Amino acid sequence: MARGRFWKTFFIIAAAVVGVGALVIGSYAVYLDHIVTEQFEGRRWTLPAHVYAAPLELYAGLPLTQADIKHELARLQYRPVDKLERPGTYHQQGSRIDVALRPAAFADETRPATILTIESGPAAIGALRDSAGKDVPLMRFEPLMIGSIFPIHGEDRIVVTPNEVPPLLPAALKAVEDRKFDTHHGVDPEAMLRALWIDMRAGQIEQGGSTLTQQLVKSYFLDPRQTVSRKLREAIMAMELEAHFSKADLMNAYINEIFLGQDGDRAVHGFGLASQFYFGKPLSELDLSEVAVLVAVVRGPSYYDPRRHPQRAQARRDLVLKLMAERGIISEKDARAAQAKPLGVTLRASGSYFPAYLDFVRRVLRRDYREEDLTKAGLRIYTNLEPRAQEQAELALDKELSRLDRNHKYPDASLEGAVVVTTPQSGDVIAIVGGRNVAYDGFNRALDARRQFGSLVKPFIYLTALETGRYNAATIVQDQPVQIRLADGQMWKPENFTKQIYGPVPLVRALAESMNLATIGVGMDIGLDKVAQTLQRFGLERPVPKVPSMLLGTLEVTPIEAAQLYNGLANGGFRNPLRGVRAVISEDGKTIKAFPLEVTPVAAPDAVYAVDRMMEQVMERGTGRAAHAVLPASLVVAGKSGTSSDLRDSWFAGFSGSHVVVVWVGYDDDLPTGLTGSAGALPVWTRLMGGLEETSWDAPMPETLAETWIDYPSGMRVERGCSEDAVPIAVPVGTELPIKPGCEQQQKSIVERAGEWLRDMIRR
Amino acid sequence: MITMSRLIRSRAPGWSRHVVWTSACVALFGLAACGQIPPQPPSVPRPEVGPGSAATQPRPPDVQPPPPPEQPRPTKTFRLGAASLALVSQAHKQAQDGDYGQAAASIERALRIEPSNPLLWTELGYIRLSEHNNDQADAMGRKALALATGDHQAESNAWRLIAESLRQRGRNQEAADADRKSEQLAPR
Repeated sequence: MARGRFWKTFFIIAAAVVGVGALVIGSYAVYLDHIVTEQFEGRRWTLPAHVYAAPLELYAGLPLTQADIKHELARLQYRPVDKLERPGTYHQQGSRIDVALRPAAFADETRPATILTIESGPAAIGALRDSAGKDVPLMRFEPLMIGSIFPIHGEDRIVVTPNEVPPLLPAALKAVEDRKFDTHHGVDPEAMLRALWIDMRAGQIEQGGSTLTQQLVKSYFLDPRQTVSRKLREAIMAMELEAHFSKADLMNAYINEIFLGQDGDRAVHGFGLASQFYFGKPLSELDLSEVAVLVAVVRGPSYYDPRRHPQRAQARRDLVLKLMAERGIISEKDARAAQAKPLGVTLRASGSYFPAYLDFVRRVLRRDYREEDLTKAGLRIYTNLEPRAQEQAELALDKELSRLDRNHKYPDASLEGAVVVTTPQSGDVIAIVGGRNVAYDGFNRALDARRQFGSLVKPFIYLTALETGRYNAATIVQDQPVQIRLADGQMWKPENFTKQIYGPVPLVRALAESMNLATIGVGMDIGLDKVAQTLQRFGLERPVPKVPSMLLGTLEVTPIEAAQLYNGLANGGFRNPLRGVRAVISEDGKTIKAFPLEVTPVAAPDAVYAVDRMMEQVMERGTGRAAHAVLPASLVVAGKSGTSSDLRDSWFAGFSGSHVVVVWVGYDDDLPTGLTGSAGALPVWTRLMGGLEETSWDAPMPETLAETWIDYPSGMRVERGCSEDAVPIAVPVGTELPIKPGCEQQQKSIVERAGEWLRDMIRR
Repeated sequence: MITMSRLIRSRAPGWSRHVVWTSACVALFGLAACGQIPPQPPSVPRPEVGPGSAATQPRPPDVQPPPPPEQPRPTKTFRLGAASLALVSQAHKQAQDGDYGQAAASIERALRIEPSNPLLWTELGYIRLSEHNNDQADAMGRKALALATGDHQAESNAWRLIAESLRQRGRNQEAADADRKSEQLAPR
């Protein structure tokens, strides 16, 4: 009897336990079901803002050679082919290139895929034609994606729709990761056991134990810790997902969700972004080998990183291809052909180029947008970055600083630098280099290094002087010892850099040779207030200390501020707010913010023109003359060197007709560099100007001015044939200048005049 | 031509028709085609100028059209390249649809190709005027003027834009002065 009671009690308890257990598991499953359906159905991927460079605008006459065009096509990962295929390919035949342009979204319009023929001349594009052979006035390449603004936890992705996915990809995923995907109900017990068995034998895992659905659940809902309870939860949720959603939906979710690489803080999610990240092109354009590389990476994005561990990645890719052939997805022959290919990943991770420029863009946008709008709303940000100019700027800084480091033999210190490039008339910032290590997203010297302005301030002093009407380029100023009692009672006795005293010199020479004493004389005469106001008119936002040493540039500015100031000089006295961003476009294609071109006249155009002509003499005769050893003699450029006290900062700022370039060179810890502006920053400036497509600075002379020639040492008026040392200046019409003795009666022959005319033509 | 007339109707009421016409026509077809002035020889930037040369003589203070013979000779004629022409034409269509933002973006595209062409700055100024952004319209006019030196038609167009922007701000006396300058340079 006791026995019977025991069993009865046992069964009751067991039934209760099972019942309660079933109830618990059941309600847990219901709870999970709720999570799965709620979250998965309502899920929109949070989309980081994607940032694009300026698109290259093509038109007949654009000075690009065929080699340049091919370089641009390569940057956008267009593939050369024998016969035009799908978008993203091109075919060259002689001087003609046919391009199958991809569909593209610009700030102002979207364009479908289209065929373009580019006919190249020797130095410029000859003609553009459409597929019907009709002339096309202009056409743009799609803008290069240069990065994303992603949230703190760092998920970055490009969402793709099923029709953007090459059919090989899901097939390969199934073959390698989940053979029974089409038939299972979320879990594959056989695969789990097999994985366990192989794991115990420490063999090579061909297929993991988790189905694609389980992997999706893990990435989507759970953290990556592997515990038994999590495995259980994962399995239940996978089955529930399968019960609610179609296989096609799940595959699409997987393709957009899965983690495929890490790049600093940025986690690369989904195959859409991975394709850009590893191959720099859209997913739809990947070939068999490339698809297999991505499928290989799924297994372990860090272990199989094709950039850091190419051999491992290649072995895994070959295995993927082998499995695909075994499952009959591809032929043995195709598999072997793909196995023979190199990995084909781009050198640098696409979307992580140009961190200094992206930093600039982020700062502009953070003034107007909340963090979560930027990182989650799928905005498209169109910028003014020109990849060609940016590349040249990075190259110029790197090459010249390496050379300077070698020559100066500081074993423990390495020179740093920053470069900003703008287009003068529109104020577009087209390149920013924040330091030598261009891949480093850290201290951005172009925006944050506040350094003494040095002699870069001088053109603004001279401009202020010309605006008073009491000075012109030929006015004789005294370069003589100066003593000024400062507010604190101390005596300030500045010197020229050369320690010499030059005596009476014309204004143009005082600027060209950057004479400190002459400049202080002019500055004190016109007043510190006026000089400070000029700097503020040109866009300097920080307060200017009104102390005499300001005239020698003790004011601290950043390279981007220097670019803002010099842009106004290059733009004839019109200030443009420097622009990094052109427009912000919402996910559905609406312009939500535009940064339109704005100009504000801030200085007398004739005074600015006259100063610009004086800055031309800096390049011809003064501290910038070394530039013309490299730049063509016919290229008219204007600029100014800057050197701060004890040679801590080496600056050069100047412009052609096409670009304003500001270069700063120095040490981060403010040690003296031993370099003047001419020795440090000028070579970088020159190399960069030489590498860009430049046109001469040739602003038209205002009608209130007249060009005249003066004797450079004395400032007296000469005819060109009369002085060995004559320079052209622009002075107000009607200005009477003393004529150099011996030049009074000069009559020019027709031959001389024709010669001058010819020289002028060549100068242009 | 249909496009043109629609364009004119779409502009703000305060506008004189022929201003718009001149701007649009010049921009689209070049100066010669609009019957304003005959074609000129190729431009010579930064002309050789010495004391007493024609280009530097002060303009006569009070002039009745047609301009007196002392008026400095025009030394250049700005035209638009094919790419800019296409973009300006596109901008006109966009402006006609009231989409001034896109119209301005099209002109900016052209300005990236030809930043020193005063005709484009004047075009952009007219778009700003349509948006009632009179300060920028004025500034664009002055920018155009600085670039147009030597091309009387382009200078005249820029003055006309400036005049209009002044009138919109109620500065009628200055507007009249600007109109006079425009008239002196290129009588209508």
